[in-house]
Amino acid sequence: MENSTLIADEKIIADLLPQKFGKWGKIWTGFLVAICLVGMYAYYRQLRYGLIVTNMKDYVSWGIYISNFVFFVAISLVGSLITAVFRLANVHWSTPLTRIAEMIAVAAIIFASLIIIVDMGSPERFYYLFTHGRIQSPIIWDVIVITTYFFISILLLFYPLLPDIKILLRFKEKSGNALHKFYNYIGSFWKGTPEQFKLSDKAINILCITIIPVAFTIHTVTSWLFATTYRPGWDSTNFGAYFIAGAFLVGAGSVVVAMYVFRKAYHLEKYITENHFEKMGRIVVLLALLYLYFNVNEFLTPAFKMKESESAYLTGLFSGNFSLPFWFAIIVGMILPIIILVFKKGRKPLPMFIVGIMVVVGAWFKRYLIVTPTLLHPFLPMHDVPASYRHYFPSWEEWAITCGSLAGTMLIITILARIFPIIPIQETITEQHETVE
Amino acid sequence: MKPLNKTLTGLLSALLLLPGYNGFSQGAEKASLNIAISYFNTNNRIPYLAVNVKSKITGRFQPVGGVAVKLFLNKDSAGTFIGKVVTSEKGEAHTFIPPSLQKEWASSKSHTFLASFDGDKVYDPAKADLTVGKAKILIDTVAGRSVVATLMEMKDATWTPVKGADVVLAVRRLGSDLNINETLTFATDSTGKASGDFKRDSIPGDAKGDITLVAKIVDNDKYGNLSVEKTVPWGAKFKYNSTFNERTLFATRDKAPIWLQLIAYSIMFAVWGILIYLVFNVFKIKKLGESAK
Repeated sequence: MENSTLIADEKIIADLLPQKFGKWGKIWTGFLVAICLVGMYAYYRQLRYGLIVTNMKDYVSWGIYISNFVFFVAISLVGSLITAVFRLANVHWSTPLTRIAEMIAVAAIIFASLIIIVDMGSPERFYYLFTHGRIQSPIIWDVIVITTYFFISILLLFYPLLPDIKILLRFKEKSGNALHKFYNYIGSFWKGTPEQFKLSDKAINILCITIIPVAFTIHTVTSWLFATTYRPGWDSTNFGAYFIAGAFLVGAGSVVVAMYVFRKAYHLEKYITENHFEKMGRIVVLLALLYLYFNVNEFLTPAFKMKESESAYLTGLFSGNFSLPFWFAIIVGMILPIIILVFKKGRKPLPMFIVGIMVVVGAWFKRYLIVTPTLLHPFLPMHDVPASYRHYFPSWEEWAITCGSLAGTMLIITILARIFPIIPIQETITEQHETVE
Repeated sequence: MKPLNKTLTGLLSALLLLPGYNGFSQGAEKASLNIAISYFNTNNRIPYLAVNVKSKITGRFQPVGGVAVKLFLNKDSAGTFIGKVVTSEKGEAHTFIPPSLQKEWASSKSHTFLASFDGDKVYDPAKADLTVGKAKILIDTVAGRSVVATLMEMKDATWTPVKGADVVLAVRRLGSDLNINETLTFATDSTGKASGDFKRDSIPGDAKGDITLVAKIVDNDKYGNLSVEKTVPWGAKFKYNSTFNERTLFATRDKAPIWLQLIAYSIMFAVWGILIYLVFNVFKIKKLGESAK
């Protein structure tokens, strides 16, 4: 920790123990549950009547669900950035942020998997993916790599939790019977012996090394779902790197938002300091510049050539039907964050929080723009199709399920933050002792 | 306002209004159509006609579709009516000479085809005619892979050789015909024969190595378009190698390429091996914890 005032161990534990929901916590949880319930009702309607309740048709067969899926996969990448990359690079200032990043990663990857099942229509088709899937198909690669990434994220959340579980078990009266039983079940065997620490540290190091290529693969393969098909806007060799750059940006943005909210809600100013925002600000500006660079590559070169088969798609983005979300994603999601964050004042908590929201919202629209406009501009012209096939706007069921999945992700993060310490307690204490020495 | 100014203003207003007034203009003139007839006979069977209709639009001739053209043999009468055709988007239409005109066809050594369009709201009436002499073309091969074509016309009720006509000797391919050697056309001699050596060795044929030779005269002023075909086993045998049952990226799941399976499954086993090891590691830690009690 780089905080100038050193904090006593017991104070750290008291500050970082999971806290019961206050009034606003209950309202927030209730709000998320309500959105999830509406989403579940919409999903019931989709199961009952079929995908006809959506506005997806023959041309736009990947709509808001797949956009949302790409968004979740992108956000989940943050676990590997904050936890693995920083840990392997021996960056210690990020310790208070690792658990937040891992919680976001786990929540996002769960809903990435669920939204794919939603997009399939009948859920049993997910089973058929395993029984009838072809290893030649990037869709199967995505299924395999998402499952793998989910397990790695769970393990990466679990291993560093073990020393904290030992601490949590000391406070039965504070955690309550049910939670105490749960802690007892998942981590009572942790005694904190040097042998246990040795095995745990080794496992965490292996996980950190493993998660980076898997994280790169998960998003590269997701980009290949698009890039391996011959369509305007997707026919690009740049897609893997372009997606990974975007994923790191939105992941970092989401961590910034979560940092600010948890800091405010749980009064963690001593642990998540302005210095953390300052450093995360620098990372976000770097990632925004990188993603902007890839966007320039992705749009400038085809726009310069303006091939006839791609011109309708490109003009639709630049000045047509999709120009408003397109320029919103570019300006609000990238350019404005860069401008704000290059100034020191912009890297203060509140401006950083606003920038984080801009990045995340811009990123969501960016995913929508990657999926839908391309599908509306096939190489072969649309002939003799109903007018509804020529445009796409999600139905209320699609919106409800999408919002439900977003709320579900936040609900999982909220529940995880209620059950486990948001900031690793044992690691904070250890680093405190190292600072004193 | 002075009277002079009033007059000038009035004149100016009238001048400005005149271009918008079309009361002086003539009614829109109809466009004229250009009709062309072509005569075809393939393999000396039933002849057919092709009609091509164009009109000058924005300075150049362009095909006109949907034009109904009536065709007659020799004279415009009900008894010599060949048929009525309507042009396609490409301005083309085709029709065979019906069997009902067999007697009329046999009555003369040359015939005139008449085409007429009655006119409509857009186009003026138009007419065209084409006179062709009865002729036939034969094809044969001689040893050493030479192709011989014989062109004859009907004269005094007998087939008489035609001298000095340009004949194309070619091989039928998918898109168009390929000449049998570098010479584009061969002139017929006094016996009506034109011959050329076949120089397209190892050209792909069908499964038996058969190719189709063709002898034809194209857009001849006297005889129209005549062609005749002959199949010869001069091509290379074509063997179709189906990739349907091979291991490819687009094959069924049980036919995935070995290299892909090796790479994909190696990565999967490596990563999942690590994950399984890490799960066992938890049990190891658990065991250590229990022994520490």
